[in-house]
Amino acid sequence: MTDRGSAARRPEHLSAVPDPEPGPAPGPDVATCLRDVARGDERAFARLYDLVASRVYGLIRRVLRDPAQAEEVAQEVLVEVWRTASRFDSTRGSATSWIFTIAHRRAVDRVRAEQSAAERTMKVGSASMDTPYDEVADEVAGRLERQQVRRCMDDLTELQRQAVTLAYYQGHSYREVADLLEAPLPTIKTRMRDGLIRLRDCLGVGVTAS
Amino acid sequence: MTATDIHALVGAYALDAVDDLERVAFERHVTECESCRIELDELRETVCRLADDAWSVPPPRLREQVLAEVGRTRQLPPARKPRPDRRVESWRRWATAAAAAVVLAAGTGVSVWQVQEQRVQDQSVLAEQAQRREARTRQILAAPDLVVRTAPVVGGGKVTVASSAQYDAGVMMLGADGPPANGRVFELWTLRGRTATKAGLLDPGVGSAVRVIDGLPGNDGFGVSVEPPGGSPQPTQIVANVTLT
Repeated sequence: MTDRGSAARRPEHLSAVPDPEPGPAPGPDVATCLRDVARGDERAFARLYDLVASRVYGLIRRVLRDPAQAEEVAQEVLVEVWRTASRFDSTRGSATSWIFTIAHRRAVDRVRAEQSAAERTMKVGSASMDTPYDEVADEVAGRLERQQVRRCMDDLTELQRQAVTLAYYQGHSYREVADLLEAPLPTIKTRMRDGLIRLRDCLGVGVTAS
Repeated sequence: MTATDIHALVGAYALDAVDDLERVAFERHVTECESCRIELDELRETVCRLADDAWSVPPPRLREQVLAEVGRTRQLPPARKPRPDRRVESWRRWATAAAAAVVLAAGTGVSVWQVQEQRVQDQSVLAEQAQRREARTRQILAAPDLVVRTAPVVGGGKVTVASSAQYDAGVMMLGADGPPANGRVFELWTLRGRTATKAGLLDPGVGSAVRVIDGLPGNDGFGVSVEPPGGSPQPTQIVANVTLT
């Protein structure tokens, strides 16, 4: 399933056949669907939905935790993908990454909106900011098992890994991450950047690749 | 903040871990720095891999809901690559719409904004932004029943409101001389009687904008206020007020 080599060798025409399994789909299919969606093709959108909805919903739910809110935000995101499909620029990255960027941004926006509402009404002190990040890191590490990402995450320093996971999966700002990890702001900024760079090199991510 | 400071945010930005002000500053930085843009694109692609594992089956109704909403949602046209002649064309088209509006509005005896060549040129930057937005903006500006009104903004600049009863919408063009100081932001309001309803929020550091305001013609007025980042439940410091009745 994750053997990228055999997927790449698969004859081109086979990729047009709908995948009966609701599983992660090969990149080109998402890109092809998105291109057709940009031309107003609703059937292509339905296919795109089947390819990405579980991951979009899963990511948003991971960040927000609350299934009802996740559903609401996932709907906004997927409609946004339809609405703005023509703005996708393939020279700047893959279609999948474009969709997840929208999804993650929306999820984080929702977290921030809730936080500012909560801070206004209850003057949240340090108590609720005291997120048990070990637990988060463990959970994330557990879920990433058997994945290349996991292996690459293991190559990061402890601080890099915590900074990246607290921001990405918890929706924390780098200031909050600095508070949680009791580290200076510039250090956290730097760890986020060099952590991602190391991850990029380990995963062999290139923008033009997919 | 220097360019180096800003660029250090590339990781935090890719992780959506910056605040709104930094987001705007970083996005501006990236438009001016090709190598930074490439680094950002690569880090974003990397970050996207972190989502590989976040997998959760959504409720089946989500599919129906999304497909139904898609069926009634208009898509954006492709983003235009900036081309010199396009720019001229776009403000000219805008000017035509505005001029047509003034002719019609003058017929109804409403006191409106007078179109002068220089003023139209002043608005050309705003008009360019309008052209880049949804086709809807152009549609409203070209409405046969468009009425254009303008009011000064405290601190310099003006706000122009073009409203069409036929489309039950208006286009708001704010051209303040500068953004509010101290990281505060412009917030937009529709006013009916004594009730102010939120109609949009500008980003920090932004002093001009073009926005479509749905349902605008049903209101008595349109206001612009200066608020802390994130906006306020009610306007605290009104800086422009356009009467619509």
